Formats: sequence, structure tokens, C-alpha cells
Amino acid sequence: MKKFLFTGVILGTGLLVACQPAAQQAEAPKAEEKKLSAKEKFEIALANQDKYQKACSNPNQLVPEGIDLETFKKEMLATVKFPEGGVVGKDIAKGEKLFGDPKKGGKSRRGNCYACHCGDPQIIACGNIGPSLRGYGKRGIDPKDTYIRIYNSWAVNPCSVMPRLGYHGVLKPEEIADIVAYMHDPNSPLNK
Amino acid sequence: MKRKAILASALVAGGAVFTMAMAQEEQLPTHLKELLELGMHPGHAFIDEGKDYYHSIKGANGKTCASCHGQDGEKLQGAYAKMPRYYKDLDRVADIDTRIKGCMTKYMGFDAKDKKFKKDFDKKWRVPLATYVASLSNGQAISVQLDDPQEKEMYKYGEQLWYMRVGARDFSCGICHTVLAGKRIRLQGLPDPVKNKLYTHWPAYRFGSDRMWTMEDRVRSCFKAYFLYTKQWDEKKDWVKKPPAHSDWVIALELYMKHAANGATIEVPGLLR
Repeated sequence: MKKFLFTGVILGTGLLVACQPAAQQAEAPKAEEKKLSAKEKFEIALANQDKYQKACSNPNQLVPEGIDLETFKKEMLATVKFPEGGVVGKDIAKGEKLFGDPKKGGKSRRGNCYACHCGDPQIIACGNIGPSLRGYGKRGIDPKDTYIRIYNSWAVNPCSVMPRLGYHGVLKPEEIADIVAYMHDPNSPLNK
Repeated sequence: MKRKAILASALVAGGAVFTMAMAQEEQLPTHLKELLELGMHPGHAFIDEGKDYYHSIKGANGKTCASCHGQDGEKLQGAYAKMPRYYKDLDRVADIDTRIKGCMTKYMGFDAKDKKFKKDFDKKWRVPLATYVASLSNGQAISVQLDDPQEKEMYKYGEQLWYMRVGARDFSCGICHTVLAGKRIRLQGLPDPVKNKLYTHWPAYRFGSDRMWTMEDRVRSCFKAYFLYTKQWDEKKDWVKKPPAHSDWVIALELYMKHAANGATIEVPGLLR
């Protein structure tokens, strides 16, 4: 029994150390001690702001002067993790759901692409914040570039309004690959 | 039940014809447009309810709101135009929600830690009272002054928060409401409350959720809906983190937006999707 507990503790600590991004380390021990108040949670949330977000937090919401754009992009590109099976996934149907489930009017709590982009012509309730993605697969764009843009849009366009979906773990690498597959597939409603 | 009864009476009684900004009117469903043309506004029920509470709620020491502020809120006219501001008795910058709670606990004898009071205040009294008090400043120009050092500091913090990009979506208030203002998220237009002085019609009745919202509700709900805070994504756990009610974060943002609306005429309650 004791041994079991002991291994558990070791495993637990090992996992904690290994999995915590730098910004979250401060939060981890606290969370285990007691239930956090709303105030503490919000404080942690604000304190979790990373240095790139900080750089973009100005009235223009763009990279401020004095920060080198190329370095910014390079550092962001370095965070992109690629899935083992390559950047074009196999599960196109899953990719479509993550992009925006047509059965739910294009809604999706994960990718939620229709909030800003138009795509499948059947989905009329699409935003006009990002460029339309109709016919995306016919534009000759390298799927790898699509993958990078979804994983970390700031590697291409620093401080862009597009969330860094892979960087923050909102979408897993495999899930992004499925979305890429959906976007580049010639039979996808996007490209018809 | 009571609210419905009041709503019905308000609809029957009617009121002044409401002039709304064109942009808002376009979003309204037909039946609401027709009601407005007849001078009826669902938000008026909340004003009536708030007025009722204003005279009827008694604290432990027997005082009502009217005991200090006069019958029908006569001493409160124009008060909302200057909020949020620094209050010496509370020793903080307070918005309307916080000010009312402060009054109730400090002068009416309610215990801030009493669970029943907390529930009554949050669920029943806060919004109607805030709407009523705000409506007493209708027709007046918003005039938020930054005379006190605490107000100045709060304003600066509010501006900083407005542009602060946080969370797993890299959003700030400014992303949607400054940078992308005029664009659409799906079919929902994004207004610019700072440039267009939209604070004039808050608290507002939102027919989408069939509720009256104060600006505190609006700000907190924005954080709840659009900012994700933890990097390890878990839909249930990590979705929502909103700043606590009456916290400085919320009030700072309110102060920033309302100061920007200085000079514009208050027209409460608003009517929004």
C-alpha cells in the first residue's frame, strides 16, 4: 500500500514537472492545496499572459517597434509541433466537425472557424473577420503552411487576431491535421 | 411571476416613444420594433420593479433606500451620470452595482456575509435597483471625472486591461471592440463601445436572453464567453474564468468605457440582442 502511494507520488511529481509550461508552474502547487476563489483564478489567468501576448497588448494590437518581426516569427515557429502521421490527417469527417459541424449550423466549440471565416457555402452564418476559405484547396497552398497557420498563426502573422489554437492546446496536433485534410480535400464542400 | 405582472402592466400603460440608434433597430425582431413604436419597452418592467424595491426593501435598522435618497429617488437624479467614481465612505472607486450593495450593507443594516442577503441581492434586487437608479439620470450627459487619484489610477488600469491580450485565445477586449469593430462574428456585429459612446444605454434589456443586464454582467460575461485561461484545454474546466462581481477589474473597465462616453446622453434601459 505504502509502496503504491510512493510510486504514485513520484509519478505525479514527474508528470507535473514534465508537463507544466513555464507560465503555469506558479499555479500548480496552489491548485492542489485548496479550491481557488474566483479572484485567485482570475489573477492566475492574467498572470498567465505570455511574453508574446504582452508584446501584442498595445492599442494597435500589433508588434510594437523595437521588437524584431523575424525573430518573433522564428520563435513562434519553433513552438509548432507536428503530428507523427504528417500534417495532412486521415479523418476528414472529424476535421469537418472541428472546423464547424454542418449539422449544428457550422458550430464547434473547438476550431469554431465559421466565427471568423466563411467556408462551406451551406453555412450562411459565417463571420467576415478572416478571409473566406471557399475554394481554399485550389489555391496551391502547401498543407504544411496551413498547418502552421492553424497551430500558431503568430508564426506567420505576429499578433494576428487569429487564436494560436495549437500553441494553447485548444486543438491537438492530430486534430489540426484532420482540419488541414478537410480544407485541402478536393471533395470537401469548401472546394466544390 | 411578479416581474411578469409588472411587465404586463408596463406594456399596457405604455411610455415615452423610444428613439434608438439605427444600427440597433435593424437587429430587432419585428414584434419588438412594433412595441417600441407604441412606446413600450420590456426594460421598463425592471425600472418599475426597482422603484418598488427602492421604497419597500427594509434593512435591519428599518431604513429603506428612500430614507436617505428621498421619495422617488429625488436625490439620486444625475448620480448615475458620474459613476463609477471614488466614494469616500466605501474608500474605493465603485460602479452602480457596488455602490448599491455598499449602501445596503453600510447604512441599511444588511450583513454582507449573510447568505440570504447575498442571494437576494444578486438574484433579485441588484439589477432592478441599478436600472431604476440609472434611469433617474435619463436625459443627462455622462460626466465621469477623474479628479481623485484612485479614479485616475483605475482609469489607467482599465485602459490597460482593455488592450491586454490573455487566455488561450489571445483575445483582449480591444481585439473585438476596437480592432475588429464593424466586422461580424458569424452574423453578430461587433460594436465599438469606446468610440461610439455606447455606455449611454446601459443597463440594457437583452431580448436574446430575456434579461436585463448591468454593465458588470456584460463585462463579466464577455470574459466568460470569449477568454479561455488555462493552456491545458479541457472544455468543462478551462472554459470559464470570469472576474468576481464588484472587483476592481470589472470597475476599471467600466470606468474606461464610461469616461469615453462623456458628454453623451443617458437613455436607460437600452434594448439589445
